[in-house]
Amino acid sequence: MKKFLAILLFVFLLGFLAACGGEDNEESQNDSDSNEENTEESSEGSAEGGEWTPEQNIEMVAPAGAGGGWDTTARMAAKVLNEEGIIEESIGVVNKEGAGGAIGWSYIANQEGNPHSLFVSSSPILLVPLSGQSDHGHEDFTPIANVIADYGAFAVREDAEWENLSELFEQMKEDPSSVTVVGTSSPGSMDHIQFVRFAKAAGVDITKIKYVSAPDAGGITQVLNGSADVFSTGVGEVVEQARAGEIRVLAVTSEERLEGETLSEFPTAKEQGIDEKFINWRGFFGPAGMTEEQVAYYEQKFKELSESDAFAEIRTNYGWNEMFMGSEEYKNFLDEEKENLKGLLEELDLLNE
Amino acid sequence: MLKNVNQRVAIVLAVLSAFYLVLSYQLPTYPYIPVDADGVPKALGWLLLALSVGLFFSKDRDSEEQKAKRHIPKKDVISLLVVFLLVFLYITFFESLGFILATVLFVFSSTWYLGYKKHMVNAIVSILFPIILYSIFVYMLQIRLPAGILPF
Amino acid sequence: MGALEGIATGFQVALSLEGIMFVLIGVFVGTFIGMLPGLGPISAIAIMIPITYGMDPTMALVMMAGVYYGAVFGGSTSSILLNAPGISGTVASAFDGYPMAQQGKAGKALAIAALSSFVGGTISVVLLMIFAPMLASVAISFGPPAYFALMLLGLSAIASLSEGSTIKAMISAVVGFMIATIGIDPQTGTARFNFGSANLLDGIDFLVIALGLFAIAEVCYLIMNRAKKSVGTAKEIGSLRLSKNDMKEMSGPVGRQSFLGFILGILPGAGATIASFISYITEKKIAKNPDEFGKGSVKGLAAPEASNNAATSGAFVPLLSLGIPGSGTTAVMLGAFLVLGLQPGPMMMTDRPEVFWGIIASMYIGNIFLLILNLPLIPYIARLLTIPRPMLISLVIMFSFIGVYAISFSVFDLYLLLAFGVLGLLMRMFAFPAPPFILAFILGGMMEQSFRQSMTISGGNISIFFENNISLVLIILSVLSFIFPIIKTIRTKKKEA
Repeated sequence: MKKFLAILLFVFLLGFLAACGGEDNEESQNDSDSNEENTEESSEGSAEGGEWTPEQNIEMVAPAGAGGGWDTTARMAAKVLNEEGIIEESIGVVNKEGAGGAIGWSYIANQEGNPHSLFVSSSPILLVPLSGQSDHGHEDFTPIANVIADYGAFAVREDAEWENLSELFEQMKEDPSSVTVVGTSSPGSMDHIQFVRFAKAAGVDITKIKYVSAPDAGGITQVLNGSADVFSTGVGEVVEQARAGEIRVLAVTSEERLEGETLSEFPTAKEQGIDEKFINWRGFFGPAGMTEEQVAYYEQKFKELSESDAFAEIRTNYGWNEMFMGSEEYKNFLDEEKENLKGLLEELDLLNE
Repeated sequence: MLKNVNQRVAIVLAVLSAFYLVLSYQLPTYPYIPVDADGVPKALGWLLLALSVGLFFSKDRDSEEQKAKRHIPKKDVISLLVVFLLVFLYITFFESLGFILATVLFVFSSTWYLGYKKHMVNAIVSILFPIILYSIFVYMLQIRLPAGILPF
Repeated sequence: MGALEGIATGFQVALSLEGIMFVLIGVFVGTFIGMLPGLGPISAIAIMIPITYGMDPTMALVMMAGVYYGAVFGGSTSSILLNAPGISGTVASAFDGYPMAQQGKAGKALAIAALSSFVGGTISVVLLMIFAPMLASVAISFGPPAYFALMLLGLSAIASLSEGSTIKAMISAVVGFMIATIGIDPQTGTARFNFGSANLLDGIDFLVIALGLFAIAEVCYLIMNRAKKSVGTAKEIGSLRLSKNDMKEMSGPVGRQSFLGFILGILPGAGATIASFISYITEKKIAKNPDEFGKGSVKGLAAPEASNNAATSGAFVPLLSLGIPGSGTTAVMLGAFLVLGLQPGPMMMTDRPEVFWGIIASMYIGNIFLLILNLPLIPYIARLLTIPRPMLISLVIMFSFIGVYAISFSVFDLYLLLAFGVLGLLMRMFAFPAPPFILAFILGGMMEQSFRQSMTISGGNISIFFENNISLVLIILSVLSFIFPIIKTIRTKKKEA
C-alpha cells in the first residue's frame, strides 16, 4: 500500500514540477496559436492537392544515449516543434544507442518509406561508414534539413610555446611527432579529422601525427596537466577555460570569427593563412523512400523551427549557430563533404568502406 | 586419464585462449603507434594459456562442499531448462508482443511452473506489476518500452 | 567574495523555503528513480532536464544535484535485496549486503547502507565545501601514467578479493579483462572481437555483466536448489536497529572510505564504481577478520556504500570548479547547466557564487532528507523478500530485463544477459569467483587505454611510468599489495609443514 502512496506522491510531484516549469509557456502558447493560423493559411494557399500532413505520432530517433549532443538536439527540437504548435502530432524521442550511431541508423534503414520516423545526425554519419563501422551512410536516408552548426577549436595550455596555429604547424612540419594531440573520440572520427584537415592544408605530414583518444573529459584534463599538447574539440568545450585564462585557443575552424563575448577573440585558421574550414553540422533525416510532399512538409516545419524565438534561445544557451539548409542543398553539401573526408581517411590508411 | 574436474576445465580454458589468440593475431596494425590494438589482447591470451596450464597441474582439489554444488538432481536440471526456455521465449517476443504482454505471460507462467499454487494472486501480480512499471517508464519518465501489439 | 561569505550565501539559498522544497523534490525523485531497474543517476538527470527548462537556475540545479545523489542512494536497494545491482556504483554493495539480507537481516543491511551513505555523503560535502577551490588542481593532476598505475593498484588486489584458489581468481580476472577488450578500440578505431556484429561494437555494457553474473546466476541457483529450505530467500526481515557493536564496526570503514571515495570521485573517469570497489578491497585488506567479507560482513557493506556516495560529491569538484565533467553522469549534469543558461567553468565560482555555494549547501540538507525519507520506508521495501520464492524468481528476471533494456533498447543485450547468467552459474559450480571478473572488466578497459595513451605520448618509452611521482608511488604500492599476500601464504604453509 505504501508503495502505491509513494508512486501517487511521485505523480503529484511531477505534475507540480511540470506546472512550475510551464509558467512561461502560456505566452508561447499564444504565440503558437497565431503561428498555427499562419501556417494553416499558407498551407491552404499552396495546397494543390499534393499536400501531405502526418497521420500519426512522430518518432524522433537519437542514435545515441541520453544526454549527448544528438539526444539534446532531438529533445529540444521535439519540444519546440510541439510546444510552439509547429507540428500538431506528438513527437516522441527514442534513444537507439550504440556503435557511434550505427545501431540507430540500421534501425531507421529498416523503416523505408515510413514518413513518421525521423532522426538527428551530424558528421559521424559520413565518417563512421567510411571507417567501415556502419553499413548505412547518408545516401541510405532522406536528408530533410540542417539546422545547427558547431565549430571545432584547437587549444593549448596558456603557458604553451605556440602563440597561434601557424607556429604549431611550423614546428610540426619539422617533426610531426613532437606534438601530442588529444581528442575525445577515436582516430578517424571528428576530433581527429578536423585537426588532420588543417594540418594537411598547412603542409604537415599527417600520417605521423601522434593522436591520443581520451573519453570522459580526459582531453581537457590532459592538456591542463601537460600530458598532451593540443586539444582538438568543439569550441563550446573550451570557451570557459579560455575565458578563465587556463588555456589558449590557437584557432577555430570557422571561416569567420564567431560572435560572442569570449568567442570573438578566437582567431580563425583562415586569418593565419591556412585556407581550410570544418563545420560540425547537425540536422534531421528521414528513412529512404519518402515522397516529395513529405519532404517538403518537414522541410517547411524545420525551417519554422529554426526561425522560432524559442529555438533561438536554446541555440544561445548551448552555443550552437544557426545553419539552415533545405533538403536539396543539404544533400549536395553532404555528398561533397564525404568525398573530401574520404580522401583524408585514405591517406591516413583508415579508410575501410 | 583426466583425474579431476580442474584438469577438464583447464583444457576448455586453453582452447578458449587459443581461439582468442588466433583472433588477436588477425587484428590490423598501424604504423607510428607504439602499442597497437593487438598488444594487450595478445598478452591476455598468452597469460590465460599460461594460467590454464598452471591450473592443469595445480594441486588444488575441490572441497566436498564444492562438489556438492555441482551435483544437481535431474529434476532440477529439467526445471532450470524449462525456465531457460521460458526466458528465451520472453526475449524472442519481447519486442513483437510488447513489454506488457510478454512480461505478463512470462511472469505468470514461470511463477506457476515453479510451483506457486495461488493462481488468482499470481494473475493479479503478474498483470499489475508490468502495467505499473510500463506506465512509470513510458508515461512518467518518457522512456519507451516496446508497445508491441497493444495500442498504448 | 570570500569562502565564508560564499558559504553563508549558499545556506541562504539552501535554507530558503523554495530551496528546501526543491531539495526535497530532488532527493525524492532521485531515490525513486534510482530504485527502478537500470535507471541510475544518468537517466534520472536526463529525464529531469526538460522539466527544469525555464525554472530559476539555482533552484533547478539544487534539485538536479538532489536527483543525482538521491539516485546513487536509492541504487543500493536492489543490490542488497535481490543481488541485482541497478547501477554500477552499487555492485560492490551486493558482495556483503545480499548475504546479510539472506541471513534474515535485510532490515539491518538496508539501515547500514542508508547510514553509511548518509555519513559518506555528509563528510564529503564538508570536504567539498572547505576544499573545493583548492582541490581543482587535484582533479587534473592525474595524467595517463597515473591512471594506469591507479588501475594497476586496483587489479593487484585480485588475489585478496576472493578466498580459495588464487589461480582461479586470476583466471576469472583475465577472462573479465578479455571481455573488456570487445568492441571499438578508442586508440585506433579498430573493431575487436565483435564477429562482424554492430551490436558488439560498443563492447558489452557493464550492467549486462553485473546483472548476469549476479542476479541471473543467483536465480538459476535458487531454481536448482528449490528443494533445500536452507538456500535462498529469507522469510525474515529482521530489525532495523543496529547494535553498539555494529556501530563500532562501521565507524572505521565509513570514516576512512568517505575520504578515499571523495578523492577518487574527484578524478575524472574514476567515479563511484571504481571508488566502491577500491574501498571494499582496502577494507578487506586491513581487516582483522578478512574471512568474514563476502559472507555478510558489516564492514564489507558499509565501506562501498560510504565510498560511492562520497565519490558522488567528489565528482562535483571538477564540474563546479573547472567545468570539467569527469563522468557520464556529470556530463549530463553539465547539459543541465547549459539548458539553464549557465556556463560551468573556472569562472563560475566568481561569476555566480549563489549557484556554486547554493548547490554545495543544499547537499547537507539533501543528505539529511535522504536519511529521514529512507529509514521509515525500509521495513516496507524489505518486505519484497517475503514474496513467495517462485514469484520472486520471475520478478527478478523481469527486473533485470527492464534494467538492461532501458539502457540499450536492444534485444541482443537480453540474450547476452542470459548468456552471462549461464556463465555465472558455471563459474559458481566450478568455484571461479565472480568479483575478480567484474573488477578486471571495469578496471581493465581503462588500464589498457591509459597504458596505450602513455605509450603514444612517450613514443614507446616505458620510463614514462616512473618519471611521474604519482604513478611511481602507485606502482610501488601495487607491487607490494600483490606480493604481500603471496609471502603470507608461503609463510603459513611453512608453518604448517
